[in-house]
Amino acid sequence: MPLKTLIRRVLLSLSLLIVSPLYPESGYTLGKGLQIGSLPVYVGGYFSIDYRNRDDEQRYRIDDIALLSYGGNDTLSYMLELEYKEFYVQTRDARDTTVARDTHLYIERLYLDYNINEHYRLRVGKYNSPIGFWNLMHINVLRETTSNPVASHILYPMFTTGANLTYSTFYNVAWQADLIVQHGKAIDNGYNNYAMNRHAGVGVTYGDEDFTCKISGGYFRKTKRYNNRDIYYALVAAKYETDTYVLQTELGSQRSGSETTVPYAGYLQGAYSLTQRHIGIVRFEAYRNNTLDESDRFIVLGYTYRPLYPVALKSEYQWHTRYRGNQFLLSVSVLF
Amino acid sequence: MRSALLLFFFGIVFCPYVTAKEYALIAHPNTPPLNLKQIRAIYLKKLSRIDNIALVPLNLGAKDPLRQRFERHILHMSFQRLKSYWSQQHYLGHRPPLSMKSQQSLLSFVKHVEGAIAYIDACNIDNGVQVLYRWSD
Repeated sequence: MPLKTLIRRVLLSLSLLIVSPLYPESGYTLGKGLQIGSLPVYVGGYFSIDYRNRDDEQRYRIDDIALLSYGGNDTLSYMLELEYKEFYVQTRDARDTTVARDTHLYIERLYLDYNINEHYRLRVGKYNSPIGFWNLMHINVLRETTSNPVASHILYPMFTTGANLTYSTFYNVAWQADLIVQHGKAIDNGYNNYAMNRHAGVGVTYGDEDFTCKISGGYFRKTKRYNNRDIYYALVAAKYETDTYVLQTELGSQRSGSETTVPYAGYLQGAYSLTQRHIGIVRFEAYRNNTLDESDRFIVLGYTYRPLYPVALKSEYQWHTRYRGNQFLLSVSVLF
Repeated sequence: MRSALLLFFFGIVFCPYVTAKEYALIAHPNTPPLNLKQIRAIYLKKLSRIDNIALVPLNLGAKDPLRQRFERHILHMSFQRLKSYWSQQHYLGHRPPLSMKSQQSLLSFVKHVEGAIAYIDACNIDNGVQVLYRWSD
């Protein structure tokens, strides 16, 4: 099938999902996906467009167009997420306007879950590395700001292709332990913040009603193109959530051999619901990246309007200590 | 005069207790005893099995007053927070609990399906179910 036809069909399917809440008899609710007949199979998706303004540059972007499908039963289930990433990017500076298009359809997630018993679950395939909180909920419409914290993409591989064994127990509090393993080539390695062929990590999560904290650590090996470099990381994260506000923090470090590649990268974010639809966000971030010889400290001030929860109109301004780092961001994103 | 004042005082103090409606969390008779934190985790689909019994939490319709009371008293979450929670879970591939239109449907389902859990008015309880917890306004 020609690419243009495929894209047209995907966009048509997505638009049908978006307009179908106008017809309540369809049984569809925006942000909850659509069941295929009476099968235990659901489809949904999301998209986002954004605008960025820096001192010397403006960028317009259709960033994500994604299709989700998942389903199964209590024992066996699957998840598939296909995505066009940076589908259209127009950048303007004082001299020129450039347009870039990436029409490759990436496999963002593809995995099978097997619930062995009430405590153990085995996941096999490509999945979001279960490290920190941000990485598990990193799509535009579900995160609080248009931008992602630097700590969420410089310390560890965002995706892993392999196995993830989870042990969880619950009585008065919840405990969870994760074991992450990758040994070999990744699915769609181009769609990851690190091109790697090995990853081994562990994580422990503690949760008590509104409070959750997590500690993770591991090692990964970059591909041959990057000299098979071995990298070690550690991250601690905590979150406190009520009906009106969410406080979240993550702090981590990265080493390679005797060198500390990222001595620290972290953020502290507070989101306050002014009303059900209006949310104010403030985030403090700091990092030092020795590999790029780069460091920064900055504040993000954001405002999000959600006419419905699965629709987000976001704006934010960032004040950086780094030269020419300040920027303004706007985005519109929808989950369906 | 004195007895009239006493009657008025006791009326003010005890009237809410006399008129308060009682609600109950019920489960299939084979379900092991569960505490409130476990019930919360079951309704958020963080806990799906216990003693190898698959748990099936059930809701009333989104706008049912009893469901709203349950979400406030047992889940300790606002309607808005639950909406955001289930949108996030949709991205992770998890579905919210099944919804049913009436308490009679809930009661019937709980009686016949192992692992089923629901909430109803306490006056509707019968012998075919196990009561996990009672609460009132």
